[in-house]
Amino acid sequence: MSAITHMPTSIAPPATAPRRRFPLIIVLLLVPMAVVNLAAFVLPVLRLGQISFLESRSGGVLTDVYTFGNYLDFFTDSFNFGLVINSLWISFTVTVATLICAYPIALFLHRVSPVWRNTLFVITVSPLLVSSVVRTYGWMVLLGDQGLINGSLLSMGLISEPVRLINNTLGVFIGLVEILIPYMALALIAGFGKLDQSLEEAAASLGANAFTRFRRIVFPLTLPGVALGCLLCFVLAISSFITPKLLGGGRVFLLATEIFDQAIIQLEWPRAAATSVIVLIIFGFALAVYSRVVRRFD
Amino acid sequence: MQTLASREDARPIAIPQAEPQPDAAFLRLRGLTKRYESGFIAVDNLDLDLPKGKLLGLLGPSGCGKTTTLRMIAGLASVTDGEILIGGDDVARRAPHKRDIGLVFQSYALFPHMTVAENIAFGLDMRGVSRQEARARVEEALEMVRLPGYGSRKPKEMSGGQQQRVALARALVIRPRILLLDEPLSNLDAKLRDDMRIEIREIQKRLSITTVFVTHDQVEALTMCDVVGVMAGGRLAQLGTPSEIYEKPASLFVAEFVGRANVIDCEIVGRDQARIGDQVYRSDTKGLSGGKAKAAIRPHRISLTPDRDRALVSNATNSARGRIARITYIGDIVQYEVEINGAMLKVEVPTASAGHGFGADDMLLCEWKPQDMLVFGS
Repeated sequence: MSAITHMPTSIAPPATAPRRRFPLIIVLLLVPMAVVNLAAFVLPVLRLGQISFLESRSGGVLTDVYTFGNYLDFFTDSFNFGLVINSLWISFTVTVATLICAYPIALFLHRVSPVWRNTLFVITVSPLLVSSVVRTYGWMVLLGDQGLINGSLLSMGLISEPVRLINNTLGVFIGLVEILIPYMALALIAGFGKLDQSLEEAAASLGANAFTRFRRIVFPLTLPGVALGCLLCFVLAISSFITPKLLGGGRVFLLATEIFDQAIIQLEWPRAAATSVIVLIIFGFALAVYSRVVRRFD
Repeated sequence: MQTLASREDARPIAIPQAEPQPDAAFLRLRGLTKRYESGFIAVDNLDLDLPKGKLLGLLGPSGCGKTTTLRMIAGLASVTDGEILIGGDDVARRAPHKRDIGLVFQSYALFPHMTVAENIAFGLDMRGVSRQEARARVEEALEMVRLPGYGSRKPKEMSGGQQQRVALARALVIRPRILLLDEPLSNLDAKLRDDMRIEIREIQKRLSITTVFVTHDQVEALTMCDVVGVMAGGRLAQLGTPSEIYEKPASLFVAEFVGRANVIDCEIVGRDQARIGDQVYRSDTKGLSGGKAKAAIRPHRISLTPDRDRALVSNATNSARGRIARITYIGDIVQYEVEINGAMLKVEVPTASAGHGFGADDMLLCEWKPQDMLVFGS
């Protein structure tokens, strides 16, 4: 922001000096962040890419021999194919479910009177104040065989034996959806700028009922927010590993948990790096889909 | 600001008499009331009749209930009590999409993700009009608002005036029973507003569509409307033709809100006489009875005579001797502030006829006719 306030000094440069695109002050202000990003993001990713092409010896010792072996291994193992499909499918269904849960909340927050909006907004995003590990343990308490839900259902006599809500894909799904709802709600609200009450009123006066108004006016105008929220949640879902690890109980195999196992348990860093690069490529595809969707509505 | 003098000239439209005949009324409001949960009454027991094909202007300051009234007619605000009869049907409790009403918003409210043609076709689509017919009617509507060939544009590629026309076309293409306009001109610049005023009025007359027009601009209300309803505090302060509202305001509020007026404390001393200071003046206002009152005199209905010509002043008019305290040149008019009997009287004279050479502190005579002295008991 402070960079922008300096802009006017550069607007009328001396007639002889060539016009610079960015004043020095803006460049200088960008330097700290650029250095941090370079050291903490770009270099590690490049190193990750490098490691993914290295051969390893037993015990996790890295050699300086370059090979495509890690990638070949990945693509020749049918287990990995299942991993990719499973990860994509869970992330996709989690994203859709999160959207369905968060959309009404976001729409309500967009419409509620400004007196309540801030309070309700803080409540909506307040789960973010608690770490997702703690929240995941919370879900284990609720969903376990002796947990609150099964306990209640059993004592009411509605079921005779516990319903499997944990240590399976369903548990992972429930946990991820709850953890991602605040992110989705935030992204949706940020993208609801074009939605104006008078547009819905205009549609009503032209004869559109509530459903048609939603389908033809509200939903199309919120699509930029929907696209942003889906991108964010998809990426977060596919890269999350604590929740799948804890709620999956070692029975749900995803790319993220596999990377963790390869790197930390098997100490196969080159393999873990190759899997990570594949996840990064999936991110790239998600980003490409997102920018295509957004460009249509710009 | 338009001058009062030119506003008089700008009203050559013959004003049709809008005598409310019960049978001819197409839009009828009966005891229409809007009470909020807080207890605030936005619209208070409103009764109103509007004949078919007429243009009603609801005029009033912000918060007077005019927009709430419009929104209740459109179905966008719930009705606490009362009836809204359109051609005999009470629609007060009907959902907005079942009312068959054309609505133009102050912000235009064009759908940003649709083209102009899609915007206009939206209402036709809702009515199940065939594609082919819809296309023809959209083209026809675009021609009506003088935007032929603009169908494939997006609203944001158009100017404010063009967007306004698209909004009008979108509201009219469905052939609604009533057209509602909510401050449609207030987002336009002054020049465009004058043009749109005439254009909207012409389209309204050509289609002969019953229309309610909400505005806080008295010029719009007086120049465009067949009937003007002045609102204050959720009630109708006066309903009448523009000339009735301007010439015979029913209350001091109307006199001050529509046009400008000198408001002077006075005392009623006879059936047609009121005293300002120690001078008694005649008024044509009917039904005066004793006590404290306020007199309203329009600044441009006062004429000025040099003090030396006192003898020429007719006895039939009111006259007051005063001293010029201030002269303000406003271009087409000159405004004098004249001190009479301790009261300050604003007088407006067209610049072209202000060649008397009056200067500050000159003594002169202010004259006004009894019919221009409106007296309101307190």
